[in-house]
Amino acid sequence: MIEPEYSPQSVKTAPILLDGIAGSPGLAIGRALVIETRRPGVVHRRVAKHQADDEVRRYRIAVESAAAELHEVATRAVGSPVESSILQAYILMVQDQTLGEEVERRILLDLVCAEWALDMTVGQMASQLALAPDPYLAERSHDVQFVGDRILAVLSGRRSRVALPETDDKWVIVAHDLSPAETASLSRDRVIALVTEVGTRTSHTAIVARALEIPAVVGTVGILQFVANNDLVVVDGLRGRVVLSPTADLIDRANLRAERYSALTRELRELRDRPATTRCGIHIHLRANIELPAEADVALAHGAEGIGLYRTEFLYVDRSDPPSEEEQYVTYRHVLEAVAPLPVTLRTFDIGGDKNVPIHAPQGANPALGLRAVRLGLARPEFFLTQLRALVRASAHGRLQIMIPMISSVAEFRATLRLLAQAVDEIDNRNLSRAAFIPCGCMIEVPSAAIMANELAQEAAFLSIGTNDLVQYTLAVDRSRPELVGLGSSFDPAILRLIRRTVRAGERHHRPVLVCGAMSSDPLTVLLLLGLGIRELSMEGSAIPELKEAISRISILEAEQLADEALACATAEEVERMVTETYAPYFADLLDGEPAFEAGVPRSPAGGADHG
Amino acid sequence: MSLARGSFWVRNRLGLHARAATKLVSLASRFPCEILISREGQVANAKSVMGVLLLCGAKGTQLTIEADGEQADLALVEIGALIDTGFGEGE
Repeated sequence: MIEPEYSPQSVKTAPILLDGIAGSPGLAIGRALVIETRRPGVVHRRVAKHQADDEVRRYRIAVESAAAELHEVATRAVGSPVESSILQAYILMVQDQTLGEEVERRILLDLVCAEWALDMTVGQMASQLALAPDPYLAERSHDVQFVGDRILAVLSGRRSRVALPETDDKWVIVAHDLSPAETASLSRDRVIALVTEVGTRTSHTAIVARALEIPAVVGTVGILQFVANNDLVVVDGLRGRVVLSPTADLIDRANLRAERYSALTRELRELRDRPATTRCGIHIHLRANIELPAEADVALAHGAEGIGLYRTEFLYVDRSDPPSEEEQYVTYRHVLEAVAPLPVTLRTFDIGGDKNVPIHAPQGANPALGLRAVRLGLARPEFFLTQLRALVRASAHGRLQIMIPMISSVAEFRATLRLLAQAVDEIDNRNLSRAAFIPCGCMIEVPSAAIMANELAQEAAFLSIGTNDLVQYTLAVDRSRPELVGLGSSFDPAILRLIRRTVRAGERHHRPVLVCGAMSSDPLTVLLLLGLGIRELSMEGSAIPELKEAISRISILEAEQLADEALACATAEEVERMVTETYAPYFADLLDGEPAFEAGVPRSPAGGADHG
Repeated sequence: MSLARGSFWVRNRLGLHARAATKLVSLASRFPCEILISREGQVANAKSVMGVLLLCGAKGTQLTIEADGEQADLALVEIGALIDTGFGEGE
């Protein structure tokens, strides 16, 4: 084999695969337009005394325009209460008296232009807030900065919208982050996909992208280091992956996959009613992960057999008071009624150590190992009981199952069951209706829980394996650290053994075992899961049609043989190689556009080839 | 016309955070009088979200309210009650 000559070009054209978070479903291939969303230099200009009044006027007009722009965005966000309350607060802050007086004072006294005066004022206010001892207050400094940026944008003639080149091309927008105004200003005709370095499924970018039906991958750490304008980019919003500089072959495959996705979307109606059945006739339950209540309908439209993971964190984010029992009850009831008679498995709040949540937990150096999820619930039972009471009441309106996150010991699970029993008593004492039996299950995502799965299965109505956290905790790999990307593989035999152990515990005590997390939406890992005995999976709703197709090609017998071989492997690489070599051809059409399993293609920029 | 002044302890756990500040500002804005709020000598306009936020009033700090003008007494009583009741957040 001839070693390719090292040249900048050959480095640049090597395909790079980056994992992010699936923000909005769909697949797109196009040229990158990199948006510089960090603040450009601010104009520093001294003004003569007689010009100062004009600068003040310029400033006041800019404030009005910035407020009007935010108003316009707020009208588009009426559907999402969280978005709109943030925007309303911004509108108040843009027009704030203290801010305005201080800027005008500086213009008149220091004789500087409006931009400079604003920049100084905002900088001072933001740093004052950033020093606040309370982390929640300190976080507000970003809001002040954001508000300042909006006015600066107007002053410098930049609109708070993304300027697209004056051609008819369609673009993949790549940015560190997009403000709500910027995202909302994008046109579906000109923008075919969004990729951001930061963000989560519930951030502005993802929400707006889903509303606009543009594929998006958010949380794509480090992409700006690798991408330049006009680079060809494949955006897979179904799996949350981005491929930079794809080869011609990869482009062809991505095109196939895109076509396939649109064909699948068209076939949704037909597929929706078709059960997920293996080649040998075993029925596999495919459920959906949702967060926002509106996603329940989308999940059902994709053929989900109910909801396997209903995340409730969104109720707690970006607000200062925890949601009331009534507010939670109304929200949960809505989802339960929409999904009934299918089941909804609701996960109690998985927060702690986050910013912008109303239940404050001391943040240690290592929040992932800190007071979060059920630990926070047990430490602050008044908040946990509020959620449990809302759940008990909502149980009257559908098939509710409660799932407890981050359980690390049997004692924690028992303490939770006692609180749930107390919530049930309180609701009964108020003579409110509820389901006769509310199954309460335990998440297996901490290795100690997997090790104690047998004991947990005796007391839990079901077990649900959260593979993302299980990988993170078992392999001690922080998923947000790009330099560790190659290390946290769900193909690791240690993970497979913990899953096997959990499945066995479920079988022994006749408890269903469900898997939610990234492993349940990739045909190859699903193959392993079925072989390990899993019959219930929960994933992004948009991944369900494809998974049904993949499952229909699998027989349980061959999956079991494969799993046995995988369990005997020593390393993640051995497992991955064995699985892909044997089965990737089976799923070639489904895996297209996904070069992760090809020799010589780095899985990630962080030296993935060394691990492959 | 009158001048009213009083001091209140911040009792709620989150202190004078964004939502509490917004509540205080919208209440203060309902009164025609001028209202100042101060903490340890730092003074802010009680009708400005930024000003109130910048006081960084954490739980356990003392805030002084000074209202000057029409309905000053009523403003002091209502704003004082809001702070005293922990901005309606219980704790």
